[in-house]
Amino acid sequence: MTIKQGMKAIGHLDADCFYVSAERVRDGFLRGKPVGVLGNQGACVIAKSYEMKGAGVSTGMPIWDALVKCPEGVYVKRDFRWYEVLSRLMLEVAREVSPRVEYYSIDEFFFTVVEPRGGTFQGLADSIRDRVWERVGVPVTVGIARTRTLAKLISDAAKPFGALAVMDRGAEERLLSDRPVTEITGIAGRRAARLAPWGITTCLDLARADRRLVRSLLTASGEELWWELNGDPVRSVQARRPAHKALSRGGSFGESTSDPAVLHAWLVRNLERLIEELEYHGVSAGRLTIAIPYKSGQLGVGQVNLAVPSDRFDVLLDVARPALRKAWIPRATATHMHVIAEHLTSRSDCSGDLFEPPARGVRARAVAQLKREVNARHGRFALRSAATLALAPIYRDAANSHDICDVRGKSCF
Amino acid sequence: MCLGIALASSEIPNELFARHALGHRVHERGGEPEVRFLYRDRHPRLPVWRDGRLQIARWGNAGRKSRFLPETGWTWQATIDQGYWKNLNPVMVDIPASLGLERGVWYRIRQGVRGLLVPDENRVAVVYMICEPSSHYYQIMTRSTRMPLLIEERI
Ligand SMILES: [Mg+2]
Repeated sequence: MTIKQGMKAIGHLDADCFYVSAERVRDGFLRGKPVGVLGNQGACVIAKSYEMKGAGVSTGMPIWDALVKCPEGVYVKRDFRWYEVLSRLMLEVAREVSPRVEYYSIDEFFFTVVEPRGGTFQGLADSIRDRVWERVGVPVTVGIARTRTLAKLISDAAKPFGALAVMDRGAEERLLSDRPVTEITGIAGRRAARLAPWGITTCLDLARADRRLVRSLLTASGEELWWELNGDPVRSVQARRPAHKALSRGGSFGESTSDPAVLHAWLVRNLERLIEELEYHGVSAGRLTIAIPYKSGQLGVGQVNLAVPSDRFDVLLDVARPALRKAWIPRATATHMHVIAEHLTSRSDCSGDLFEPPARGVRARAVAQLKREVNARHGRFALRSAATLALAPIYRDAANSHDICDVRGKSCF
Repeated sequence: MCLGIALASSEIPNELFARHALGHRVHERGGEPEVRFLYRDRHPRLPVWRDGRLQIARWGNAGRKSRFLPETGWTWQATIDQGYWKNLNPVMVDIPASLGLERGVWYRIRQGVRGLLVPDENRVAVVYMICEPSSHYYQIMTRSTRMPLLIEERI
């Protein structure tokens, strides 16, 4: 007698309008109503319920446009502390059904599954969705397929509150023939435009195209997608996040600004957050980039390489200032800022700057240590650079001290 | 400033509906009825908790029904602190609300808003909504420089 090994597959779990669903878990009043979660200090809709989506509101829309589309909408403030709590509860459920789970984003996981003895993948997908609903109260959609690219396409197609396992080629092809290529993660405007002249517009077109053509049009990563669409798993589920190539902090200002003093304050705020992250990962930055998108559509960029990699506030601020000057466009109105650390090296590999007076380094380390201890005891940013004074209202709002990027361990963002 | 509130109908006893003819203030949102109290109503009213009972009070002194009360529906917390209302024997009350309305934005309120209840010359109860300077979030969301004083909530 031979024991048949259970068939293997990949699952994708994705919460339905996650931030809104998370708000509804703790606030029944919001159920059934058009709800928008506001981010960017209240300026934009960062998540909307299906009711609000039906009225024409899209993610990222300024609240003033959303009001026109959906005057009956109810607006709530984002709370990433709460969303992270629910995210980790959902992750726990996924870990009960799978030995290998990738924490892809705050509301999306990939995981490996084996066909249950005496059961089906479809039954498994149903049970995962129901278990999350019963245990966490968040509606999710689960897709199960032979590859992660297929699993994600399937869960996208089955939304909301769906569960769908598609394992045979016929069913896969029916699904792929309905979906435009742009629904595949990683194929946006420019790559889709390269495919169009070859008549490749649906996912099925891409799957049936010549592999070498796809490689020439979309490089090796496009070829990976081709294999995946054809049911060959080449992208694995990463239970542990690979080491970061870059770390960054920043985002929208909420209120746009052309004031250099305010820009400088944002630089210091983002740098202090970035340094927390460098410290957490035990790395030093060898290169710092400041990117500033402007209302006009222009992008200002300043980039500096450090002679010696560092995670020190004084050293990084010294190089960040001239980078900010380069990224600054006088009188133009800036909307966002990103401070990006690259060429990361493990702190233990850093030899330190041999040309710096030793006392300076000792003092900077002592200040950093003090800052960490005070903030650990009295709350994040309790002790911070006085250069952030121009942003007092941002610090006064506790919601700003825990953002989506502060939810650690995600493989996407 | 907050130009109106909505309260889920389920929060209001039937007896109050009839007594204050609230029927015409009922609207539906997502299939759930709610009662809207707007300052621009012909007879502006607000619900208030007084002596452990929910009551409906006149909101402010629009149309100068009273000759000596201020002709507005709001007061700053700072004005109360400075003692300007002292001689009117004011009572602090809670205004229950599910939603606030400001410049077209309906935003969620978890419990309600603080209010100040005073009698006019005919001993009719008049409620003023208490406000404070807007938080950064509130100001960006509504473009208003003042916000209602929310009960045990910061947005
Ligand atoms: Mg989602």
